[in-house]
This record gives sequence, structure tokens and C-alpha cells, in this order.
Amino acid sequence: MSAVPVLETRGLGRHFGGLQAVADVSVSVPEGQVLGVIGPNGAGKSTFINLVTGHIKPTEGQVLIDGKDLTGARPWAIAHARVARTFQIVKPFRGMSVRENVAIGILYGPQGTNVMSRALKAADEVLEEVGIADMGDRPPGELSVADARRLEFAKALALRPRLLLLDEVMAGLRHTEIEPSLELIRKLKARGVTIIVVEHVMKAILAVSDQVLVLHQGKILTSGDPREVLSDPRVIEAYLGHRYAKRREGDS
Amino acid sequence: MTAFLQATTYGLLQGGLLALVAVGFSLVWGVMNVVNLANGAFVILGAYIGWGMHQTFGLDPFLGMFVAAAVLFVIGYVMQRFLINLVVNGPIFITLLLTFGLDLLIVQGMNIAFSADYRGIKTSYASESLAIGSVRVPVGRLLAFALAIAITLILVAVVNRTRTGMSILATGMDRGAARLMGIRARHVYALTFGIAAALAGMAGVMIGTVGTFNPSAAAAFTLMSFVVAVLGGLGNMYGALVGGLVIGLVQAWGGQYLPGTWVNALAFLVLIVVLIARPTGLVGRAFYAARLEV
Amino acid sequence: MSPSTRVPEQGVTSTVPLQDVSSTVRRDQARRLLPWVLGLVTVLAALALQSQLYSGQERTVATIFMFVALAEAWNLIGGFAGYASFGQVVFFGVGGYFTAVAISHWHFSFWVSLLLSGVVAALFATLIGIPLLRLKGHYFAVATLGVAEGMREIVTNLPDLTGGGAGITVPTVGNNATTAYLGNDGFYLLFLALAALSVLVAGLVARNKFGYALRAINQDEDAAAAMGINTTRAKVLAFALSGFITGLVGASYAFQQVTIFPERLFDVDITVLMIIMVVIGGSGTVLGPLLGAVALQFLSEFLRQNFTDLHTFILGGIIVVAVILLPQGLVNYVHEARRTKEYSLLANVRRYRL
Repeated sequence: MSAVPVLETRGLGRHFGGLQAVADVSVSVPEGQVLGVIGPNGAGKSTFINLVTGHIKPTEGQVLIDGKDLTGARPWAIAHARVARTFQIVKPFRGMSVRENVAIGILYGPQGTNVMSRALKAADEVLEEVGIADMGDRPPGELSVADARRLEFAKALALRPRLLLLDEVMAGLRHTEIEPSLELIRKLKARGVTIIVVEHVMKAILAVSDQVLVLHQGKILTSGDPREVLSDPRVIEAYLGHRYAKRREGDS
Repeated sequence: MTAFLQATTYGLLQGGLLALVAVGFSLVWGVMNVVNLANGAFVILGAYIGWGMHQTFGLDPFLGMFVAAAVLFVIGYVMQRFLINLVVNGPIFITLLLTFGLDLLIVQGMNIAFSADYRGIKTSYASESLAIGSVRVPVGRLLAFALAIAITLILVAVVNRTRTGMSILATGMDRGAARLMGIRARHVYALTFGIAAALAGMAGVMIGTVGTFNPSAAAAFTLMSFVVAVLGGLGNMYGALVGGLVIGLVQAWGGQYLPGTWVNALAFLVLIVVLIARPTGLVGRAFYAARLEV
Repeated sequence: MSPSTRVPEQGVTSTVPLQDVSSTVRRDQARRLLPWVLGLVTVLAALALQSQLYSGQERTVATIFMFVALAEAWNLIGGFAGYASFGQVVFFGVGGYFTAVAISHWHFSFWVSLLLSGVVAALFATLIGIPLLRLKGHYFAVATLGVAEGMREIVTNLPDLTGGGAGITVPTVGNNATTAYLGNDGFYLLFLALAALSVLVAGLVARNKFGYALRAINQDEDAAAAMGINTTRAKVLAFALSGFITGLVGASYAFQQVTIFPERLFDVDITVLMIIMVVIGGSGTVLGPLLGAVALQFLSEFLRQNFTDLHTFILGGIIVVAVILLPQGLVNYVHEARRTKEYSLLANVRRYRL
């Protein structure tokens, strides 16, 4: 375990004209940690992910991956730094099979191979890991919502990431479908992957997070131990709502 | 100095017409993401209708333009409703190709029906000119300019304040949500396209009064529609007005002070620079922030 | 009795007979070689055809080859990558004019000019590609159109270099001629070679890692970038490659026509024809642009000869009908119909409708 945090942001911010989408966000995520990120819609959670992965350029602050300053680096450079992400709106590459979708990450990711057959075989291994090994030949349009989410996972895992950013992977899943996703996250954590989970599903956040970060109107509201954060009155006020708080009080 | 003022006046007058040619094109592109390569053909078709009304019934073109508007509205509505709507969800170049094919049909149709001879709509008063200081202002051009501006402003009012207009805007912003609220998108699209065609047709009649035209002139107007629409921001009607005036001035000054047809090259350079530097156009903010297509 | 493989584990034997495994492998190999074999056969057939044609027919077929080359090249950027270049003819014109100027003014041989024209067109594509490929959809289409139209105007306004609106003539006879005119036979072979090159390049790209990158960019550029694809480099490369081939074709056309004019060499109709051929044949496939080019040129020639006055009008009608019935093109339609067993064209019309 190295002392250098896998992800560090210093005063990260982005404004669009007059709108400050993300402001002064400083986090330090040590290796192997699972950081949950919560907050109301429009709080800047997706923007934060996009700033880290290079899909949006920061207007303020820095992004350091494994100690290296990669502020404003393009997404493929970030990918080569072993950082992978999923997208909120799942759009698999149509016109290619599920296997080929994943193979792209192996062809162009940090390992980078030029041999198609090797990439396809490695893709099958990744599909096995996420549990859709039998869907390899199918077109992605034929996948169910849950399986399509697993394909998203697989595409990210194809990069063999050290840091994985999950953007609302539980959205739209039934209760029975959430547990397998949590299992996958736990399995990855056991392997030493650092994970940032942006979620609205509190059950999932509580189940896997080591720390929780709360974003509100682009800024950090608070961060810390999951249970403490979720009981924090400010967080309840801004996001969770009193009914949820009462429900949790009843549970504990 | 006189030459400069004359060129400027001419540029503004022509610019008003260009604005009317382009405003419908811009609206259609902004609201429906359809690029109508047949816009120039609509303009010329309108001109022929105005000319025909004048030839056959002696109808003054400034009245004939309402006939042109009506005819072109119907043509535009039908075209969108039963043809373009069929490919609207596909990749961009499909709609581009479809409108190109329609453009071919219309332009060739006009060639066959009217031949390639140059026509013009001559009225007695159009060739007279007013003298404002040292500048000559042809009456016909002034009238056309005033009408073009007026019609554009009426369009802005209609779109922003009437229920129909709002349904057009709503459908442009979020088609899925609009449909969920009971707005019939197929009809709204057809309406928008019909309006755009009608505006182009009216502009055509006016263009017919200030100069000559034939079917091959359509292409230049389509190209100008592009430049004006992009300059003004897609879907931005005030922007089309400003864009039209700017292009009119650029053309007039360029024609006055640049040799050959360098002014056209300049216009395209401006187009490209605007697209790269400020794709939302020179005027105002982006028309639509996010588009969710359903 | 077929030998079966023995897996050296306790009492476990694989149930797959050795014979079947090798026949599957052979079938796969055959399937992968088939397109190359077919391609070779087609080229040989085209060569054999030449002796059977009159010179007028030869020119027509040569034009078909020319459009095959153009359509396949456009498909690289427009079909695979999904960036619909509406100004593609600019590379045609740049290539053509470079060759014309190189032969007339600088006394290069045609063959040297040909190669340089391709290179110049590719460099030009790289130059404009870097800023323009940042634009999406319609914006990219319009911007490239602007470049093409602008280039035409520039060429028209530099009469000392390019002859301007009056055109430029490539010396093909006498003392100034650096290369003997190729004649109908020669140009038939030249355009055939260019068509073969274009199809070859498209085929290589399609099966290759690069082709996957382009298709990923077409589907979801953000996801493609997130998976490590340098999207800028890939797009510019595709654009430059398509520009290179288009430039070669333009150069050959200029030599063939002897006298060229800006309105012709930068004619937007040429771009539109390229696109229609790709769309009708099937964008994003290798066979599609080929079929589309052949079909459309045949049609165009047929109409031109039999309905001279109406031929453009009918062409417009055909474009409208084709785009509505088969928006994804013939090859893609056949692929999907075979997969979903849904052959109805009427059902196909519903694909993209509002």
C-alpha cells in the first residue's frame, strides 16, 4: 500500500458562464478505499466524475492520479493511467457484439494489444467476471437493463483499473438486482481497486462505502464515516429528508 | 464616402431579405434538427408563383406573396408530414440527402416548367428611388426590406406568444416531454416546416421584384441560409435577422472593395470561424441547452 | 471411427472429435479469406471486361470505378467514424488542381504529381481536420461544405496560378507534355487500380483495430475516449486517409479531362453523389459503397442516355425513394433482415420515423 493517494483533487472547480457547477472540491482517496458520493440532483456529482476523467476540463484546481498531475488530461490519457468509469446513460457500441464492446478496452487500454484474437479472449474473461459470459456473441441491444449495466462494468474493467468511478450504476435496478452489483464492488475492493461510487440508493452506499462525501450545489457539504454523515442534520436537510432520517432512526 | 454609404444601404436592404430567407431555415434546424437543403428552391418557387400571379392576374407582387406563402405552406407541411418525418430519427446525413433529393426534384421541376430563362417581376413603382442625402434608395428594395423585417418580427411574436408557437418551442426543447403533454409532434414539425417554407416563398417574391431569377439561383440562397443561420445561432430568430444584415453588409462591402469574388471566400471563412469559435452563433446564448429526443 | 482427443485428467476425455475441430478452424479461415478472393476475382473480371467494351463504354465504366473509389474513401470518415463530410470534394479539387499546376507550371511527370497530390490532399485534410473534427453532426457537415466552397472561390480568384474561372489545361501533347496521355485504355486501368486500392483500404480498416476504434467513436465518442481511444488522432487519421485517396482520384480526373474548371472540380454535387452511393449501398460496410456506386452510376448513365431532359429530375426522385425505403442502405438492410427475419420494406420505413 503506497502512501500516495490514488486520487487527489485540490480545489477542483468548473464554471459554465455564470454557473459554478463544481467549486473548491478537495478530496484525497487512499488506495483501496471505497468512497461514496451522494447529493441532490444538480449537486455536481456527474460533473465531478467528468472533471476527474477528462471529459470536462476544470476551470480551477488540480487532479492528481497516483501523485501525477493529470489536470485537464484527455480521457484516453486518464484511461491509460488505469482510471476507468461507467456512464450514467448506458450507450453500448451497437453494430458490435457484447464481446467486441469489451475488447475495445483491451485493445486500446493500458495493456494495449494489437492482436484481435487475444483481445477477444481477454474480453471473454472480463465478461465471465461480471456474469454475462454467455452473452458474448449477442448484439448489446438484446440485453436486459441489468445485463446492460453489467456490460458497462465489463467495459470499465477491461482497462484493469486501479481507480474505478461508478456513476449511478444502481439506477433503475430492482432490489434483487442490486445485490449482485454490490457483490461485484466488494470483489473488486478485495482485489485492491479504489472505487468511487456516486449513488442515490442509500442502501448501496451504506453497504460498501468506507467514507462518504456529500456534494451540495457544487461544493462539499461534509464527509466522513457513512453512518455519521447520513445522520448529519445538514445532510438530512439538504438531501435525505426527514422521513428518511426517521426511518433510519427506527431501524437502528 | 457616397460609395460607402450606398454600399452600406444596399447591404442592409439586401440583408433584410436574406434574413427572411434564412429565418425559417434556422427555426427548422433549431427546433427539429433538420437541415433543409431545399430552402433555396422554396425561395425560387415562391418567386415563380409571384411572377405567375403578376403575369396572369396582374396581381401586385406584394399581394401575390401571400398566395406564394399559402401555396408553399401547404407544400412544406405535406413534405415534412409525409416524407421528412419518416427519417427524422435517423443519422444526420439521411435527412440531408432527403432534402437534397427534394431540392433536385423542385429545381428540375421548375426548369422543366418554366425553362432556365431569367424572369423578373416588374412593377411600376419598384424602379423609382428615393434620395436620402447622397444615397439612392430604390422604392422596391425599401418596401421589400421593411416587409421582411416586419414579417420576421411577427414570426418572433407568434412563436413566443401564441399557443401554437409555444408548442413549437416546447417540441424543440424536449420532444418526448412535449408529446407526453399531448402535443402532436408530427403535426408540430409539419407546421414548423410549412411556416419556414411560406417565409422562404414570401422572400422569394420580394427577391423577384428587386432582381431577376431562374432555377439555378436556388443553390446560392440555400448556401446563404446556412451562413446566416449559423451566424445568428440555430433557432434564434433575432439572430437570423442580425445574421442576415451582417451578411448583406459583408456582401455589399466585399463587392465594393474586394476584387473578383473574394467576398464569397470571405463569407465562408467567417462561417467556419464562427462554427469553430462560437457554434451557438454571434447573438445570444445557446438556444437549447440539452435535447432529449424521444 | 474418429479419433478423439484425450485430456490427460483422470478418466476424462473430451467429447469433441479431432476431425470436427479442424474443420471448424478451416471453415473460419475460409470465411476470412473469401472477401479477398472475391475481390481478386472481381478485379480480374474487370480486366477481362476491358477488351469487350467500346471506347465510349470504357469511359463509362472508368467513371464507375472512379466513383467506387470516391465512395469507399468517403465511407472511411462518413460511414465508419460517422462524421459526414459534406465538403469531401475539396480533396478531389485540391488533388486535381495540384496535379494540373504541377504538370503545367512545374513540369512534373504525371506519376510524381499523382502521388504528391494524394499527399497534399492528406496534409490539407489533417490541417482542417484538427479544428473541424471537434464539431459534431450538422456543424461538421456545414463547416466542411464551407471549406469546399471557400476553396473553390480561392482557386477561382488566383488566375495566375490556377487559370481562375477560365480553367487550366494540362499539356498532353508536344514539347510541354511531361507524360504521354493515357488514353481510354490507360485511364480505365488507372481508375480500376484506384477503386481496388480504395476497397482494399476500406477492407483493411474494417477488420483492423482501427476500424473498431472508428466504429466506437461513431456510436459513443465519450465512451470510446474513456476506453483509451485517442479519438482526435483516430478521426484525423481517417479523414487524412480518405483525403489521400480522394486526392489521388482528383489528380487522375484532372489528367483525364485535360482542361479543368473550379466549378467542376469543387462541385458539391460530386460530394452528394458520393454520399448517396454510400447511403444506398450501406454506410459503414465495405461492400455497400461499392454496390451503391455501381448501381447509381449505371442508373445515372441509363437515365442520361434515355431520358436526357428529365434525368436529373428522375434522379432526384430516386434519391427520395431510396432514402425513405432503405435509409440504412442495402447491405445493412440485408444483414438485419436475415437476422430478424423481418423483410418487409414497409416495416423498414418505420425505423427512423417520428
